[in-house]
Amino acid sequence: MRKFMLFAYMVVLLSVARASDLRLPESTAAGQAMTIAISGTGDGVLYLLGPSQVIKRELRLDRENQLVIKGEELRCAGRWIAVLRSGGTWQSQVFWVAPARPENLNFLARPSRVPVDRRGVISGMAFVFDSYQNFVLQPAPVKFTLSVGDTGASQTVTSRNGVAWVSSSSARKAGAAQFVASLGETAVRRVVQQVASDPCNLRMHVVQQNKRGVVVETDPIRDCTGNPVPDGTIVTFTQTDSAGRSTVDARIRKGIARAELPAADNAHVTVAAGVVLGNELQLGGRR
Amino acid sequence: MKLARVFVFAVAAALLGFGGIPFLHYIRADSKPAVQLDAEKAAPREVDDAVQQAIRRDYAAAWQALASAINSNDPGALNENFVGLALDKFTQRIRDQRAFGLKTRLLDRGHKVEAVFYSVDGSAIELKDTASIETQILEGDTVIHSDRAEIVYYTVMTGAEDHWKVRVLESAP
Repeated sequence: MRKFMLFAYMVVLLSVARASDLRLPESTAAGQAMTIAISGTGDGVLYLLGPSQVIKRELRLDRENQLVIKGEELRCAGRWIAVLRSGGTWQSQVFWVAPARPENLNFLARPSRVPVDRRGVISGMAFVFDSYQNFVLQPAPVKFTLSVGDTGASQTVTSRNGVAWVSSSSARKAGAAQFVASLGETAVRRVVQQVASDPCNLRMHVVQQNKRGVVVETDPIRDCTGNPVPDGTIVTFTQTDSAGRSTVDARIRKGIARAELPAADNAHVTVAAGVVLGNELQLGGRR
Repeated sequence: MKLARVFVFAVAAALLGFGGIPFLHYIRADSKPAVQLDAEKAAPREVDDAVQQAIRRDYAAAWQALASAINSNDPGALNENFVGLALDKFTQRIRDQRAFGLKTRLLDRGHKVEAVFYSVDGSAIELKDTASIETQILEGDTVIHSDRAEIVYYTVMTGAEDHWKVRVLESAP
């Protein structure tokens, strides 16, 4: 009995000695070749399971083996698990793949359309990635440039936890602002349309008056920084007289809004665009 | 006689106990994990209560969907909670797993989440999550790897139609 136990113990020891040994670097980087050392003999299978990919290798082991995983195969960063099956046994090891150097940006700019001359209304955030679309947490300098025509401003922000962001005021001049985030050679461009703000000094005058009615039109409508308010913006003319109230919603065309109001002996006319009130006219009497 | 009864009872209890563990694991793998969210340090914008509640709900749902998808090798389960890069990446992982006859069982024991960034316009939030997860890799029905670890994940979620979706989910050492 004692001899049998000794024999069994020896068999176990020998089988353990024959089991394969898996040695990986504790960490590597995406896009870098990795060498895995495997000691053992016989056929085996190696699985490398990463966050977004699985690599499988059929192995014919011969004592000390070196398996090279090419850089282009090892694309995703994060926590990986290597599992080796050899001689009916399994063994596994966790290892980490770091992102490659920062190369790409995912840039979000808001809003796409904004009134001129408003403080802190434009925001841009850039998420930093490597060339394999791995999120890069290491700090990286991201340059934000906001320009309209030949005027603009830029600011460099170091990313934190993979994100860099800026908040900016809109320019005084209307137009398509180029909002660019750049990282090294990579630049991502967004357009922020800066449009005229609310009308300023909205004024109207009578163009024509006869028995059928009265035609009123505004002066060219501009915002407080001199930008023409876009065509299509609604301007409301309201006439109040003894018969009641008449309202005309007219769109700005070529910078001017015009309305034809009913004839009245004594009427009060007002003009407004959004929350902005313009001048008032008294028809058939003194203004 | 009494000793025999005790023995039978002990064996039955042991069998029930050991048999029940995988079953319990199976339930846990498919249930919504616990998510604790600390949004005190979020910048540049504060995260209001309604958003915090939505993030807790939708982040837990995302992990539940991921555990289900990666265990059943069905990437369709990801569509409701993942978008963009995260959706592409996990879909690829599941396709590779399926091709090699592998499955992954995630036994999710909860997430301690800190909001580290919340965008000015409220459209994106970044989370740092310390997740307690047991990972089992299966070849067919054989468990070929099992480990339990606290893993740090960085997550970017963006607002979708009526809920938040995971756009980036990446583990870091």
